[in-house]
Amino acid sequence: MTKSLVTTVAASALLAGMALADEVRVYNWSDYIDEGLLEKFEEETGIDLIYDVFDSNEVLETKLLAGGSGYDVVVPSGTFLQRQIAAGAFQPLDYDMLPNAENLWDVIQARTETYDPGGAHSINYMWGTTGIGVNVEKVTEVLGPDAPIDSLSLIFEPENMAQLADCGVHFLDAPAEMFPAALAYMGEDPDSHDPDVIAQTEEMFTAIRPYVQKFHSSEYINALANGEICVAFGWSGDILQAGWRAAEAENGVEIAYNAPKEGALMWFDQMAIPADAPNPDAAHVFLNFIMDPENIAAASNYVYYANGNEASKPLLLEDVIGDPAIYPDEATLANLYTTTPYPSRTQRAVTRLWTKIKSGT
Amino acid sequence: MADSAEARPMPHGGIFEPWNDPTASPLIRFENVTKRFGDFTAIDDLTIDIFEREFYALLGPSGCGKTTLMRMLAGFETPTEGTILLAGQDISPIPPNKRAVNMMFQSYALFPHLSVWENIAFGLKREGMAKSEIDARVDEMLRLTRLERFAKRKPHQISGGQRQRVALARSLAKAPKLLLLDEPLGALDKKLRQETQFELMDIQEKTGTTFVIVTHDQEEAMTVASRVAVMDEGRIIQVATPDAIYEDPSSVYVADFIGDVNLIEGRARPEGDALLLDWAEGERPLRCKTSKSFSAGQTCHLAIRPEKLTISAEEPAEADNRARGRILDIAYLGNISTYHVELPGGLVLKAQAANTRRIARRSFTWEDEVWLSWTETAGVALER
Amino acid sequence: MGRRLLIAVPYLWLLALFLIPFLIVLKISLSDPELAIPPYTPTLDWREGWAGFTEFLSQLDFENFVFLTEDDLYWKAYLSSLQIAALSTLLALLVGYPIAYAMARAAPEWRPTLLMLVILPFWTSFLIRVYSWIGILSTEGYLNQFLLGIGVISEPLTILNTNVAVYIGIVYTYLPFMILPIYAALEKLDDSLLEAAEDLGCSRLSAFWLVTVPLSKAGIIAGCFLVFIPALGEFVIPSLLGGSETLMIGKVLWEEFFSNRDWPVASAVAVVLLLILIVPIVLFQRNEQRQREAEG
Repeated sequence: MTKSLVTTVAASALLAGMALADEVRVYNWSDYIDEGLLEKFEEETGIDLIYDVFDSNEVLETKLLAGGSGYDVVVPSGTFLQRQIAAGAFQPLDYDMLPNAENLWDVIQARTETYDPGGAHSINYMWGTTGIGVNVEKVTEVLGPDAPIDSLSLIFEPENMAQLADCGVHFLDAPAEMFPAALAYMGEDPDSHDPDVIAQTEEMFTAIRPYVQKFHSSEYINALANGEICVAFGWSGDILQAGWRAAEAENGVEIAYNAPKEGALMWFDQMAIPADAPNPDAAHVFLNFIMDPENIAAASNYVYYANGNEASKPLLLEDVIGDPAIYPDEATLANLYTTTPYPSRTQRAVTRLWTKIKSGT
Repeated sequence: MADSAEARPMPHGGIFEPWNDPTASPLIRFENVTKRFGDFTAIDDLTIDIFEREFYALLGPSGCGKTTLMRMLAGFETPTEGTILLAGQDISPIPPNKRAVNMMFQSYALFPHLSVWENIAFGLKREGMAKSEIDARVDEMLRLTRLERFAKRKPHQISGGQRQRVALARSLAKAPKLLLLDEPLGALDKKLRQETQFELMDIQEKTGTTFVIVTHDQEEAMTVASRVAVMDEGRIIQVATPDAIYEDPSSVYVADFIGDVNLIEGRARPEGDALLLDWAEGERPLRCKTSKSFSAGQTCHLAIRPEKLTISAEEPAEADNRARGRILDIAYLGNISTYHVELPGGLVLKAQAANTRRIARRSFTWEDEVWLSWTETAGVALER
Repeated sequence: MGRRLLIAVPYLWLLALFLIPFLIVLKISLSDPELAIPPYTPTLDWREGWAGFTEFLSQLDFENFVFLTEDDLYWKAYLSSLQIAALSTLLALLVGYPIAYAMARAAPEWRPTLLMLVILPFWTSFLIRVYSWIGILSTEGYLNQFLLGIGVISEPLTILNTNVAVYIGIVYTYLPFMILPIYAALEKLDDSLLEAAEDLGCSRLSAFWLVTVPLSKAGIIAGCFLVFIPALGEFVIPSLLGGSETLMIGKVLWEEFFSNRDWPVASAVAVVLLLILIVPIVLFQRNEQRQREAEG
C-alpha cells in the first residue's frame, strides 16, 4: 500500500517534470535539416518540437537582441554568435546534460574556439566555405579551358570580369564575406578590422563593379541553376544546391564549386540556447539528440553540408564525405581562414563602404 | 443684342406671325428628319419650321421625342435621315462646339468647380474674347438675371432659382442665334416656376433670341410660347399658337393633352355649315358649327372645354344644345368649381363655373338635377 | 457620454497604434547603441523613481540626427527615394487615369466587374506578385522571350535589377490605389457637364482639361498620396526588382537596423522619414477637409 503510494507520487512528479519540459522551440535556417529527424526526436523524447525557420543572420540577431524571442534553440553563424554572446544573449551550456558532446570533431572545435571559447555557449551544427560557383560550359566558352575557376582572380581581375559580364555574375550582398575575400586576394589579412586596410579594397571593387549584375545573397541559386548567370561568389552549400537543381531540371547546366586557392572563408553555424529560453532543459535534450552521430549524419546526408561531429563520419554517404567541396582535403582545409566580428565602429565603416561600392554613393 | 429687341413687335400681339408670312424664311428647318436608336424610332419623318425670335415650345409626354429633337439641334445627336437647316445651312456635320446654338440643361449642368461669374464667362473665354469684353458681357448677363450679388459664389452656395438663372445667363452669354431650353423650370416649385416663366419671356423679348423650349408641362408651354408643337411618339401632332391649340385642337389627342376637355363620341349628320351629332339613343342630337366636312354616319368626337358649358337649375330656353343630368361630384378650386354631371346614358360631363358668390350661398350641391347647355360654336368636331 | 466614448475610440486607436510607437522610436533615436539586450542605452528603469527618470533624460541627445547630416548617404537616399516615389506616382497617374476614365465611361452593368478586376490582384500575396515580375522581366523572362520572338529586339533587354524594374514594380503594386479614388471621382461626374462644356465651345479635349480633370482633382490628389506615401518608404520592391545602385531610404534603414545593428541611427532615419511624410500627409488631410467643405 505504502509502496504503491510512493510509486504514484513519483510517477506524478515525473509527469509534472515532463509537463514542464514538454515542448522545445527551435529556430533554424530554412532547408537545413532532414524533416524525418524532427519526428524521430518527438518519438524518442516525447517532447513536442516546434520548428521555425529564418533565412538571415540579421533577422535572427534582431529577434535575439530585442529579447523575448521565445525560442529554446537558435542557430547563428560564428561571427554573429560571438557578438551575441557578448551581448548576453545566450546561457552557458550544461555539459552534464550533453553526453553526446564527446562525439564532436576537435578540428572544428579548435576553429570555433575563436567565437565561443571552450564551447561554453554553443555546439557546431554545420560548417562550410565561401567560394566560387561557375557554369562550367559558359565560363570555358568565354575564358577558354584554362579559365581560373579555382582562383579569386576570376572575379577580382577586371579583364576576366569584363568578359564574364555578358553571361552574368552575382556577388553575395554580404560585406563580411566579400571584404575578407578581397583582402585575401590582395595578400592582406582577411580578418583585418582596420578600416583603412579594408578601404584599400575599394579600388579593386570599383574596377569590377560595372560587371556585376547583382549583389544578392540568395537569388544566385536559381540564377545559376537556370543558366541565367555563369559565375556566383557564394556559399558552398547554396552552389551545390544550384548544381542539383540544374541536374534535376535536366537543363544541361553543369555547376562546379571551388574554394579559392588564395584562401577561403570557413563559416560555422552554431546551435545555442537563448538566455531567456522558456525550456532550457528540453533545449539541452535537443542538442544532445543532434550530437548523436546517427542523427547528425542523417542531417548532413540530407542537406549536403559538412558537420562538426567526428563520430558521424563513417555514417555519411560517399558523395558527401567524398566530395572535396563539402569535406575539403587536408591541404585545402589548412588554406581556409576564419573571421571575427567587426567592432561596431568598423562595422559601420564596412557597411558604408559596401553601400558606396554597390551604389556609387 | 439687347438693343435690337426694342424695334421688335410684341410676339404675342398678333403682328408677329412669320409662320403665316409666305415670304419669311425660317431660322430652323427640319426636313423629313428621322432618328432611330437601334430598333427604336425616336423621331419619325418630322418636318417643322422655326422662325427667328420665336419662343417655340415642344410639348409632349416623356418619350415622345422632344428631347431628341432638341439634342439634334444642339449637335449631341445626328439625324438618321433627313436634314436640319440653320439659317439655310445644313448643320449635321457641325459639332456642338461650333454651332451658334446654346443649350440650357435640365439639370442646369453648372460647373461645380467654377464660381457663378466663371460659369457665365466659360463660353466667352472659349471664343478668345478680350478680357475687358468678357467682363462687360458677364456683368451684363449678371444684371439681366439679377445675379450681381452672387457672382463670386459657387453653384452649391446659391438657391435652386438662382442656379436656374445662372444656367440661363451662361447659355445666353454667347448671344446664340438659338437658345435651347430643356425643361428649364422643372426643378423649381410651382410659385417660383410661374414667376420665372414671365422672367424667361421678358428676357427672350429683351434679347430677341430664338428660344426652343422642351417641356411636358402644357400650362408652361401655353404661357411662354409663341407657338406650341404637340408631339407624340416621334411625330408632330399639331403646331399652332397657344390659343389655337386650346380652342381649335386638330385631334382628340391634342384636345385631351391640353387642358380639360369633355369628349362626346357619336355619328355625324352634316347639315349646312353645321353638324348634328347623334350621341345616344333617345337623346337630342348635338349641334356644332364646323368647317370640316363629315360624311353622314361617320364617327365623330365633339370636344368641349368645361368652362364653355353653362350649368343651370331650369331648362334654358334658347340653347343650341342642352342635356339634363345629376351632379355627381364637385371639385372646389377656389376661384372656380368643376361640376361632374352624369347624363342619363351614364356619360359624365365636366362643367366649370366661376365662384362669384360665397360658398354658403352656392346654388348647386350634390345630387341636384341640373341642366347643361352650350352654343353651337362652343365645341369642336374632331374626326379622331 | 456614449457619444464622447464613440469619439474617443479613434483617438485611442491613434494613440495606441501611432503615437506610442512613434514616441518609442523617437526615444531610441535619441539613445546610443550598445551591445546588449536591447541594443541601445539608456533604458528607463522605473525602480529608480524620479531621479532615475531625470538621469535617463539627461542621457538622451540628438547625436544621431547630427550624424545623418554628416554622411551624404542619407540625404542622397532621401532625395533618391523622393525622386523614385514622385516619378512612380506620376507614372501611376498616367497609367491609372485612363483606366479609371474608361471604367467610369463603361456601361454601368460592366462597372462592378471592372472594379473587381482592379481589386482582384489584392487577393494574391503582394510578395508573390512582385516575385512574378522577376520571371517576366529577367533576361530569360517572358517579356524578353516575347520581344525576341516577334523580332522587335535582337539582344535581350536588361530590365530586372535596374530602376526601370523598380518603377514597374511600384506602379504595378500601387496602381489600384491610384485608380480607385480617381474612378470614384469620375463616376460621380455628370455627363451633362461635358455636354454643357461642348455646347459652350469646348472641343472634346478642352472639355476634358477644363471640366473632367478639375472635377476629378480630389481623386487625383488622393490617388497620388496613396501611391507616393508608401512608395517613399518602399523596401521590398527595390530589394527584389532593383539593382544594387537603386538607393532608397527603406534599404538604408534596413542596413542600419540589421547590418549595423545601430537601432538608434535606424530610428533617427525613420523619424526623419516620418517628418518628410508628414508634410504630404498634412497637405492631403487639408485637401480632404477642403473637399468636404466644398461639398457642404
